[in-house]
Amino acid sequence: MEHESIKLLESYGVPVAEAELASGVDEAVVLARKIGYPVVLKVVSPDISHKSDVGGVKIGVDSDDSVRSAFSEIISNASKRAPGSRIVGVLVQKMAPSGGVEVIIGGLRDRAFGSVVMFGLGGVFVEVLRDVSFRVAPISEEEAYEMLGELKGSIVLNGYRGIPSVDKLSLVKIILKVAEILDENPEIDSLDLNPVMSYTSGALVVDARIVLRSVG
Amino acid sequence: MNGLRGLEALFNPSSVAIIGATPIEGKIGRVLVENFTKRYRGETYLVNPKYGEILGLKCYKSVKELPEPPKLAVIAIPAPSVPQVLMECGETGVKAAIIISGGFSETGTDEGIRLEREVREIVEKYEIRVVGPNCLGVFDNYSGVDTFFLPEERMKRPPKGGISFISQSGAFASALLDYMAYNNLGIARAISYGNKVDVDDVDLMKFLKDDPVTKVIVLYIEGFKESRGRAFMEVAREVVKKKPVIVYKAGKTPRGSRAVISHTAALAGDYSIYSAAFRQVGIIEAGTFDEITDFAKIFLTQPLMKGNRVFIVTDAGGIGVMLTDALVKEGFEVPLTPEDLREELRKVLPRHCIPDNPIDLTGDADDERYRDVLEIVAFKPYVDALVIGALPHIPGMTMKIAYYISSIVERAGKPVAIIDIGSEVALKFKVEFERRGMPVYESPERVARALRALYAYSKYLKKYERGVSNDP
Repeated sequence: MEHESIKLLESYGVPVAEAELASGVDEAVVLARKIGYPVVLKVVSPDISHKSDVGGVKIGVDSDDSVRSAFSEIISNASKRAPGSRIVGVLVQKMAPSGGVEVIIGGLRDRAFGSVVMFGLGGVFVEVLRDVSFRVAPISEEEAYEMLGELKGSIVLNGYRGIPSVDKLSLVKIILKVAEILDENPEIDSLDLNPVMSYTSGALVVDARIVLRSVG
Repeated sequence: MNGLRGLEALFNPSSVAIIGATPIEGKIGRVLVENFTKRYRGETYLVNPKYGEILGLKCYKSVKELPEPPKLAVIAIPAPSVPQVLMECGETGVKAAIIISGGFSETGTDEGIRLEREVREIVEKYEIRVVGPNCLGVFDNYSGVDTFFLPEERMKRPPKGGISFISQSGAFASALLDYMAYNNLGIARAISYGNKVDVDDVDLMKFLKDDPVTKVIVLYIEGFKESRGRAFMEVAREVVKKKPVIVYKAGKTPRGSRAVISHTAALAGDYSIYSAAFRQVGIIEAGTFDEITDFAKIFLTQPLMKGNRVFIVTDAGGIGVMLTDALVKEGFEVPLTPEDLREELRKVLPRHCIPDNPIDLTGDADDERYRDVLEIVAFKPYVDALVIGALPHIPGMTMKIAYYISSIVERAGKPVAIIDIGSEVALKFKVEFERRGMPVYESPERVARALRALYAYSKYLKKYERGVSNDP
């Protein structure tokens, strides 16, 4: 689940938007204060994989009161729209700064080739245009840079019309970390860091999903 | 899957046993006998308990009766008898076999799967190298080994040459060989490995890497077995340093069998991973059937490209414009002719010719006009490759043009590709250009893509030579 995915990524030094799991509303307020406003609240359940579809995500939460109302709204939405789901808690996460470029970084285990990493532009680029690039791991830093340059929409990363280039090295480092995670954790079948916010300086993983290999 | 051991015997054995030889016309065993008696120079033994003699040659009851253990056994008998015969081969000391017979795992039946398992066990027990089952086997243009059981009047054999071809599909292998024969493209060795119970792409690539007659490797691949993709990449990395490898990957559309819980998995059709893997190790992917031979031709004959600047010399303005579009679309630069070159060209060209790039020699050009211009252009350091529009419809062009172009570009050490469109006359010129080692294409787009393949390989080798640096 997301909070576990985040912990794993953090242990590998992948920059992730700070997040803690709250099991009750009071704990959520405490965590939100500790993390600092504004925050995002997300439902955490092994039975819900598309959190926004069930009204399980609230963004731009900026006060104790709004944490309380967002928390109860999420719980009630989830039980209404995904009845019977086991709800582990609500993730309280630092809201990523605006002004970044959304990208997706992923990895999977292929039967013939082993670990494979993926890079793509987020949002409409990945959903509609499938503008992604792949490499069989392990790869060098240079090859990871090539993955960025190979996209049809790579101009978005290079900067255009006065918008500066994103910090490519920070993305390259995350791609290399994904390869390392796959290599060292054979139980992982695939992982998605989606979205990753890419800024002129630095990058931040906002959401992560790790799929374990089915037993047998 | 035991590396190189025993592979030489598959291609260049000093003796061969054809097990399942028959005098009956139209049978596989008959075509095999004819193939081997025609071209193969080693000792050929025929084996079939039903005959004492076939086409005037002595026929033995079993492989055990042969005067010597053959270096290679070609097995073309019904599947249920194959394990027994293969075991006899093993006991006799045969180290390599090609099992042509079908009726194994490809049928999906329990019996087929069982028979294939038995074959695999015998392979391991006796350490025999096996190609097949369910394959066409090996065509070796140098030793004369030819287990492609298609009669010569149906499938022409290509001339000797530098292309070696590995195919997961037998039918595609025979079609391509026939096509290459028709287009006068030279083949060194061709292998159809069928169910790959033992020898597969990885082993064959290792063998062809050090094969002196193989200059270019072409592969037709549908898919790799468990973890063989990674093994293939490792060997391909080494092969590509020595010779270009062209691959045609069939089965490009998403298979959809992968669990699609994660985004990454959903986006990764099999093909995108294969394609990435090929690019990573410097293999050039042919996207279409035409590109297989289009690319092979340019790799066989042309030196590497040092940069991406292409100059066009043409007798037809329209073709020049089409070429410019096609080349730019493939990522090439078609730079304007610099002033100093323009001055030099004006001295040798009539006033109505256009010294821009494309350099238009116009419809009254003759062989010498091509010669004079190329003598200047080909040696300029900013010219990385030349594309020659040589439409033979103008009266001034003779076969001598092929001699002029080839001798100049060879001295200059620059790659060249020719575009030549038309009917019988064009074909005659094509034959002459290709005889002199220059690849000819029938459309601007095909020239451009072939050149792109050459440039991609050149760039990969350069990158490899300078080593993987960490600079962005």
